[in-house]
Amino acid sequence: MSMSAELLLVFFLLCAAGVAASVVAPARSGPTALAVIGAAAAIALLATGAVLMGVEPGFRLELWSMLFGGTMALAADRLSAVLMLGAGLVFLPVSIFSATYLRKYAGHCDLRYFGVCYFVMFAAIVLVFIAGDALSFLAAWEVMSISSYLLVTYDLDREGSAYGGFVMLALGEAGTIAVTIAFILMVIASGSLQFGDWRAVSPHLTEGVAWAVFILSFAGFAVKAGLVPVNSWLPLAHPVAPTNVSALLSAVIVNLGIYGIIRVNLDLVPVHGAVPGLIVLVVGSVSALIGILYATIQSDMKRLLAHSTIENMGIVAAGIGATMIFLASNQPVIAAIALIAALYHLINHAVYKALLFVGTGAVEAGAGSRDLDLLGGLVRAMPWTSAFVLVGVLAISALPPLNGFVSEWLTLQTLLRSAVLSSTAIKIIFALCGVLIALTAGLAVTCFAKVYAMGFLGVSRSAGAADAAEVGWGVRSPLAFLAVFCVLLGILPTYVIPVIDRVAYPLTHASALPALVPPFFLPQAQQAENLPPAFLAEFHDLGAQTGEGMLPGRGLVVLHRGQASNPVVFAMSTSYMVVALAVLLGLVFLVFRLLTLGRRTVRGRAWDGGLRRLWPSLTYTATGFSNPVRVIFHAVLRPTTIEDSTEAVATHFRTAIRLDHADVPIIDRLVLRPPMSGLRWLAELVRRMHVGYVNAYAGYVLLTMLVVLVIGLAILR
Amino acid sequence: MAGWVIKGARTGIRSSAYPAGPETAIGVSPGMPGDTAVDSPSDAEGLASLCPTGAMTAHDVSVVVDRGRCVHCFRCAQDARMPAVAWDPGFEWATYTDAYQALHAAFSRSLHIRFVDAGACGACMSEARQVNNPYYNMHRLGFFITPTPRNADILLVAGPVSDAMRDPLRKTYAAMPPPKRVVAIGACAISGGVFGPSYASAAGVKDIIPVDVIVPGCPPPPLAILHGLLLVAGRKPPAPRSSLAARADGRPE
Ligand code: SF4
Ligand code: SF4
Repeated sequence: MSMSAELLLVFFLLCAAGVAASVVAPARSGPTALAVIGAAAAIALLATGAVLMGVEPGFRLELWSMLFGGTMALAADRLSAVLMLGAGLVFLPVSIFSATYLRKYAGHCDLRYFGVCYFVMFAAIVLVFIAGDALSFLAAWEVMSISSYLLVTYDLDREGSAYGGFVMLALGEAGTIAVTIAFILMVIASGSLQFGDWRAVSPHLTEGVAWAVFILSFAGFAVKAGLVPVNSWLPLAHPVAPTNVSALLSAVIVNLGIYGIIRVNLDLVPVHGAVPGLIVLVVGSVSALIGILYATIQSDMKRLLAHSTIENMGIVAAGIGATMIFLASNQPVIAAIALIAALYHLINHAVYKALLFVGTGAVEAGAGSRDLDLLGGLVRAMPWTSAFVLVGVLAISALPPLNGFVSEWLTLQTLLRSAVLSSTAIKIIFALCGVLIALTAGLAVTCFAKVYAMGFLGVSRSAGAADAAEVGWGVRSPLAFLAVFCVLLGILPTYVIPVIDRVAYPLTHASALPALVPPFFLPQAQQAENLPPAFLAEFHDLGAQTGEGMLPGRGLVVLHRGQASNPVVFAMSTSYMVVALAVLLGLVFLVFRLLTLGRRTVRGRAWDGGLRRLWPSLTYTATGFSNPVRVIFHAVLRPTTIEDSTEAVATHFRTAIRLDHADVPIIDRLVLRPPMSGLRWLAELVRRMHVGYVNAYAGYVLLTMLVVLVIGLAILR
Repeated sequence: MAGWVIKGARTGIRSSAYPAGPETAIGVSPGMPGDTAVDSPSDAEGLASLCPTGAMTAHDVSVVVDRGRCVHCFRCAQDARMPAVAWDPGFEWATYTDAYQALHAAFSRSLHIRFVDAGACGACMSEARQVNNPYYNMHRLGFFITPTPRNADILLVAGPVSDAMRDPLRKTYAAMPPPKRVVAIGACAISGGVFGPSYASAAGVKDIIPVDVIVPGCPPPPLAILHGLLLVAGRKPPAPRSSLAARADGRPE
């Protein structure tokens, strides 16, 4: 057995141990056991991913032969590996966070039940990544779906828990059915359950089957990925789920949907032509905008983060769509860049979203609420949490030099590369999608400025926030771990891109490395590749070789140069930027200190306009902050205003006015409501049959018999 | 469009000549009683008893006016049974308090003012507003109103400081960066005037925060307020003390 397979066996054994420990461990030490074993399993998974990435390109294990359909196989490659790394990076800190978080359920929910579901889900997620045939894939997928549903509805006392869980399960199962039908089509076409055999037949599929497989699998996986129009479950399931489960939901489970899209539509059954790619691109861009629009107007942190997950998955999907289109247009290098951008964003999103969810958990524990309208001023009471959440907020707002910037920048730049395409229609769609994503990026800054400003700065708007207490290291250490990765993934893109390039290479059959990370650190002889020396010399003059000899790798600059017809260059280096930022900030600080040397600083209260007291209710709230967005995008959001006034003494003498907004997401309104009301109408019709009279039921039996007889006679004829 | 420029150029400067030259317009000040020598102690007693605000005190054969209390009611000037009081028709009444310390010369042509209405009747505010108009035009002298105390050098206060304004006044003063000076305008702000002290207000600004310059009057006319500001800026001398007042309280002129 290869090394990676052995490590993976260790992982599965640890998961089994986790299940066993959850059952036998006493309730008090249950969470600790879960954390230790969960973290160990995550480390095993990370090691597996690292080995697969670095040493072995993959493995294939035939488990056993089935009665029909050949053997059940596990196959891992580098696409599996990158998702394993992403999952491990999230599971490790979240498991540690769980130890503290789960204490609050002790005594009122069964922790054994949580532990079992947790490890089963963990194992099932990894099985999805390494499933080598349709049957094991679907089995693992179902186990993952159901165990995640059970975890989401773990706390049944929470309002909306049953409904949120139900929508998640229903949409998820509908997606699974679509995927299953697509798989059945492929099994019929190839005569085999093995994914390997599908690759062989995929170029010879008829147009109709290829389209059906693409539409069904994309729609099915889009449910898990949270893309419009099947994203409704995310904002419903997140607020009711325990916070550690929310983190896994947003940072790992949605990735499975993207994994499915890449695996099926790029790897096993690559799409034909550019139209499927356009569909993915448009769906992704629209998801991104819709997601961030709804995120911006939320004040419940978890719901906000759930909507933002839709946004980020939209950006990833847009990258995948661009990959498909560039592949169809015979531009494998740019396709590889787009795929790298998408996968990079996938990992980045997992890291900062987990950070923000764990941060939300910390805020909930420290201040007793996660409603931004009731928080404020936490930076004083919870300095550590605030600092870590700030990193996450900056990263998700795609501000340099953090990780969100690198991948969003790459995605936008690849969308701008549409100039190499020949079709004008496609170029226009690319441009429009680029606009949507740029708008999304702008709104994301608004949205997360709100999270930090309203949650952590200013005046505390509730007693809970005023008396907030910092969380212990049990929560701070996972936050720190994730924040460090946000920074590392941000400032070392030239070391991350080569790794992801290994994933993209088998899918796009071209390496983006020479085109994306010029080898400024290598000796002149090796520098040629496809960049003219004069061009490289210009960057040399700018100092792109700084660090040569001291640092390994190819360089610290991400750079892409268009072809002769479109010689646009895009280049950036967060590594140098972080140095430059540090130097500039240091300079500003020094100049400031010099200028104010010998001056006395007087600290006084903030000027409040002379008010007797600055009431928290006088300050800006999260709802107020996002109201401009609500007004500008009224056409999309269409909030309904609920006015609830109390009149007393005489009519028109109002003693209380309460104004509230109810937002029904546009997707629910346009896509889910009509079929739901149709179904209701149908159910109502059927219900009318059930009148409760014995005679009526006897009549139905008689009628049924008659019908059966008639059909039987007809067949006998 | 440029019509207003031409009109302005043709109109010329119409602002008050004060402080460079004398103010000649009629009615810019109601005037104020000055310290007066009378013939007999009984005349002095009688004159002092006319004053409704207790601004006059009799000292032997003279009456001394505490201008910080006077509300220009003219009773001391127009009573036929008594000798008339010496009426000062001018407006340069502002003086320092004991706490005053001169500002650095750098401030002499640039002072930023934060105005606080601490329960004034409205007349003081109305007059204070006039110093901002084209006729009195304080900008030409380097005085500017600022909305935040963070930028202010001078706190200009009117009113006796009602209870509701006590904290805001204190907060405004605390929010100003040093060096800072307080100018109390109007009888109310100086001594409580016709309102204070009472169950609802203090007897002037000095009860709450240290005052540096007082501008008597009820209300003080705009030129008196300008004089007060010029005093803080170190560009005008304070109102002289009469020899009668000096003799009465034994302090130098
Ligand atoms: S004018 Fe009126 S208030 Fe002033 S001193 Fe004379 S009597 Fe008193
Ligand atoms: S000093 Fe006179 S004018 Fe000024 S506020 Fe008092 S009563 Fe009104």
